[in-house]
Amino acid sequence: MGNWELSDQVNFRSKQLLQGGKNIVGLMAGLNGDPILGIDDKIEDLHYKNNNNSNEVQGLNLTLARPKSKAILRKGILPFLLPNQSDDISHLALDIGGSLIKLIYFSRHEDQSVEDKRKKTVKERLGISNGNRRSYPVLGGRLHFVKFETSKLNECLDFISSKQLHCGRFDSHHWNSETPANENAVIKATGGGAYKFADLFKERLGVSIEKEDEMDCLVAGANFLLKAIRHEAFTHMEGHKEFVQIDHNDLYPYLLVNIGSGVSIIKVDGDGKFQRVSGTNVGGGTYWGLGRLLTKCNSFDELLELSQRGDNGTIDMLVGDIYGGMDYSKIGLSASTIASSFGKAISDKKELEDYRPEDISLSLLRMISYNIGQISYLNALRFGLKRIFFGGFFIRGHAYTMDTISFAVQFWSQGEAQAMFLRHEGYLGALGAFMSYQKHGLDDLMVHHLVERFPMGAPYTGGRIHGPPLGDLNEKISWMEKFVQKGTEITAPVPMAPPGTTGLGGFEVPSSRGATLRSDASALNVGVLHLVPTLEVFPLLTNPKMYEPNTIDLSDHKELEYWFTILSEHLPDLVDKAVASEGGIDDAKRRGDAFARAFSAHLARLMEEPAAYGNLGSANLSLYKKLTFRCLCTYNLLNRLMEEPAAYGKLGLANLLELREECLREFQFHDAYRSIKQRENEASLAVLPDLLLELDHMDEETRLLTLIEGVLAANIFDWGSRACVDLYHKGTIIEIYRMSRNKMQRPWRANDFDIFKERMLGSEGKKPKPHKRALLFVDNSGADVVLGMLPLARELLRRGTEVVLVANSLPALNDVTAMELPDIVAEAAKHCDILRRAAEAGGLLVDAMTNTLDGLKGNSSSVPLMVVENGCGSPCIDLRQVSSELAAAAKNADLVILEGMG
Amino acid sequence: MDRLADVSNLRSSQSQTQISHLALDIGGSLIKLVYFCRYDDSCRDDGDELRSQNDSLCSKSDNSQPVLEGRLHFAKFETSKINDCLDFLHSMKLCLDGSHDGTAPPSNKIFIKATGGGAYKFADLFKEKLGVSLDKEDEMECLVTGANFLLKAVHQEAFTYLDGQKEFVQIDPNDLYPYLLVNIGSGVSMIKVDGDGKFERVSGTSLGGGTFWGLGRLLTKCKNFDELLELSHRGNNRIVDMLVGDIYGGTDYAKIGLSSTTIASSFGKAISDSKELEDYEPEDVSRSLLRMISNNIGQISYLNALRFGLKRIFFAGFFIRGHAYTMDTISVAVNFWSKGEAKAMFLRHEGFLGALGAFMSYEKQCLDGLTVHKMQQKFPISASSAGDNIYCSLNSNSDENGSIECTVYGT
Repeated sequence: MGNWELSDQVNFRSKQLLQGGKNIVGLMAGLNGDPILGIDDKIEDLHYKNNNNSNEVQGLNLTLARPKSKAILRKGILPFLLPNQSDDISHLALDIGGSLIKLIYFSRHEDQSVEDKRKKTVKERLGISNGNRRSYPVLGGRLHFVKFETSKLNECLDFISSKQLHCGRFDSHHWNSETPANENAVIKATGGGAYKFADLFKERLGVSIEKEDEMDCLVAGANFLLKAIRHEAFTHMEGHKEFVQIDHNDLYPYLLVNIGSGVSIIKVDGDGKFQRVSGTNVGGGTYWGLGRLLTKCNSFDELLELSQRGDNGTIDMLVGDIYGGMDYSKIGLSASTIASSFGKAISDKKELEDYRPEDISLSLLRMISYNIGQISYLNALRFGLKRIFFGGFFIRGHAYTMDTISFAVQFWSQGEAQAMFLRHEGYLGALGAFMSYQKHGLDDLMVHHLVERFPMGAPYTGGRIHGPPLGDLNEKISWMEKFVQKGTEITAPVPMAPPGTTGLGGFEVPSSRGATLRSDASALNVGVLHLVPTLEVFPLLTNPKMYEPNTIDLSDHKELEYWFTILSEHLPDLVDKAVASEGGIDDAKRRGDAFARAFSAHLARLMEEPAAYGNLGSANLSLYKKLTFRCLCTYNLLNRLMEEPAAYGKLGLANLLELREECLREFQFHDAYRSIKQRENEASLAVLPDLLLELDHMDEETRLLTLIEGVLAANIFDWGSRACVDLYHKGTIIEIYRMSRNKMQRPWRANDFDIFKERMLGSEGKKPKPHKRALLFVDNSGADVVLGMLPLARELLRRGTEVVLVANSLPALNDVTAMELPDIVAEAAKHCDILRRAAEAGGLLVDAMTNTLDGLKGNSSSVPLMVVENGCGSPCIDLRQVSSELAAAAKNADLVILEGMG
Repeated sequence: MDRLADVSNLRSSQSQTQISHLALDIGGSLIKLVYFCRYDDSCRDDGDELRSQNDSLCSKSDNSQPVLEGRLHFAKFETSKINDCLDFLHSMKLCLDGSHDGTAPPSNKIFIKATGGGAYKFADLFKEKLGVSLDKEDEMECLVTGANFLLKAVHQEAFTYLDGQKEFVQIDPNDLYPYLLVNIGSGVSMIKVDGDGKFERVSGTSLGGGTFWGLGRLLTKCKNFDELLELSHRGNNRIVDMLVGDIYGGTDYAKIGLSSTTIASSFGKAISDSKELEDYEPEDVSRSLLRMISNNIGQISYLNALRFGLKRIFFAGFFIRGHAYTMDTISVAVNFWSKGEAKAMFLRHEGFLGALGAFMSYEKQCLDGLTVHKMQQKFPISASSAGDNIYCSLNSNSDENGSIECTVYGT
């Protein structure tokens, strides 16, 4: 997903559009200074779709979104011109239940067709082959999650039709084929509706439904989620959400309780090994159905919403009502225990109209949740299962529902069993159906292959049901603008209700409700799953299970507030830069504002519920220092505090920073720091020859120490740091570098320099023992990489060590990317033979410096200097998910130098 | 049932009745009364049924204690109409001391055994209105004592009910324990019984009789429980419930053993329809509700029986009130989930366990024993419906009524 693909791909598309007779109306700046053709809104949208992580899933409220693409389709315009079609849809699977249709579709990442020399060399050297573990290639791409009400089946059909999801083009070569629907196309589907609506699908979309067994799908989906997605499962007690890391080897057996319209209780013993042991007809459909009859609510969510303001004590007969306010303590029933759900409706003179719908809804919710919790526990007990996972659309991340179920399980098991919930709760069946496509080999994907991202709409739409997606960037921006006007309503806190009471048989009160409940806070966010099959766990990690890339714990509220402030304050500055990077045009300003709003909303949501996006740890201390800027925050949204910390799963500061980068990309800011990075690189490269000369005059030991000091010193050049920005205005780069190098003299905090020195230079009796291959993780552009890392790399090369420079795949702040490095190295190599020969051996120079170096090609016998991408687009690296290039390179490495990137 | 009119009628005819040994079970919805009338006094409320008065004479036992021969009476009132109950009691002469001569007793010395939450809640009211103190007995203990008594002492107390077939089960008193007692009142208590006084409340659910009645009232505007039950007879739950067939387009989900008529989601059809509450027939709603609750109770009961390895499950409490469809649904649920291994059993005196248990607790203080005579008599099927009457006289010699003749050893 590097940016080079973008230009290639857009050019490619442009050709298509030209054939379609469209006018080119504008030019857009490309990434490497190459102009990229932009063709009105639509091409922009193509462009945007291809390169961002937005999705329709988080999509938007029906009333806000215009089903633009559909309209166009009906006018008979060639389908390949549709904006949405730029996503090369490969697979679609459905779960058509009694109340909801869950849809999962897969859009492929574009082919990484740019096989540049660098990559080829890296591949040859490192022995990477494509698809070495499978007989078929696994496609990278995105999994989108969408839902519709079954009663509005037509919306779903329109959605599929407008996105041409049913065309089933597995092969990207045919992406421009004009056949709108393959006669033999088959869609995998599960749930009862797969039977009921099969004819309708055939008629409307011309596709056949291939029915997958519902239970098979549920189990396959749950197994996949629990194994492949980090922080998928969590507990929810008394309003407190806690993510549970499930050990893949210790997952089975477990009890899976899927609460749809009805409830299925399944004992799962392994992949494809399961038994439906029980179930109950008192489920989500009962809640909604009875609720509708009793309250006249129009939707499930409205009914749930009502329950948050209810007091079930007005309808339920409590133990205290029977015992005159006293407990029945002998058998452990408190006065507030529900003796009989709806029992008070008996004796009162009141009619239905005299009860508050809020109270009815709560009473109903508690009755059903407890009952499900109780029956589930009894079944777990029966089979000796400790873990109970609850899924299905009844829950929809609703805090009180989860609390109630948890409470029931805890009460009846006396703390022995625990209720756990899944973030993708509603999509188990659809995922399972999706996985039943044999071809894409999803089933052996593991955690490190999946990156979950939260697009713009996530903080707003959460787990809601929604209709058609936003068509293009323009709509997205307008939506954002509209939303901000509405923003306060949507996030207005719900008044706290007094603690309710619980079910007979003796439940106590789940003590929390209120504080964490807001009108929309209850919804969990389901991000888009990015499947990046080339990602792997960094092989040199001693213990991947214990590894935690986030070194600052953001579940500590003080820490969270600190970072919230930092990021908020930095936002206007970032927006300025981003806008400037796009030439400061009006369009860029609009996008910049939209970005600021979207990111602010993410932040605000995070503050509401710190676990919203996952477990927040933080990157390392250096970053802590880096981000010490102060400026005024002008965005009101950011002032809303403490919203919902757990809506997106467990998230670290590293994830938060990545979220920001993703958010930038979503609004088409591909590289906000591009011009700054260029300027710094040029300035640093200009002084590099002097530095190299200085170093070469030193004796070995001094040089080594100076090099290390230099690396440390150069790392302060970071645009994440306000202090650094000031420095730039006061002196030349080399002066600053020297000055800070002097400050970096020992003692350092961790110091193994002597051991390093001994190995490098040898000591009495011991010969120097050069490393075979060194991995150098580079961080910032400019002085950091040019004056810090390159001289060190040169020293290693000189001693016969292969050097692999590891850089980000995508831009993040001013970090240098793997794509930019070859140019920098080439430029540096102009002044240094060691670098030149090594770079040549590593395949870095061919593109960059063909002219000057042609004649010298013959005499390179140097160890190679190579560049690999790390698979990451964030200021902080997560070593659990690195590119296969890097993983391969790491296998023979005996020295790893990590600078920054924490 | 529980109609005030009935009570009033009875009251006039019972004005001379002397009640000795009264016990109460004051629940959330109903007050259950068990009281004992001696044959020898002016207890003649339904004297025409007492065909063998000569046989039932007051006599003395060997140890010089008075032995009272007479009948146990069962009555119930709605808890919300507790005043009716108080009036009823007031109109009777309380004769709690076996040797009492029939004049009003000094109020501060009279205790009545009572159980259920109301024994606490209404203690002051009883004191004030009737001048009697309620001697509170533990609810669970009373239930168990009552059930044990009935199961051991009363012939053909227990029966199964499946597909409209009622079948009496003869329980060997020596092989009674352990069993699961499921008392369905407003809420539901599930009690594992291991012997006399040996029991544990193992579970319960808040979806009980109160839920049926309460939700049913809101949904159908029915005025009382029996009317609601009656409605359910004529209803069709498929109108309201989402069946497996509705989801699967009329086919079964055979792989996991769900037929197309299995309820997938109670009230699930009320979701997707554009119909409002008024558009549904109260009969269908009532039926759906009854099935939901009965089914759920049956399921949870079975799961608890399974957990403790109990083969016998007895269902009692006023929710059932001999209603065929209710019993049928519970039986089906137990049968379905246990795959035929366990059977639901019901008790003829289902509603009076607690009150009976409270009554038995007099033993400790002033009664030495309550024995049932002539347990050999047959109880016709109609006897179960007699349990629905407000006032059920059980006479040992009447085959039609199916009665219990008792001997109380008083002090």
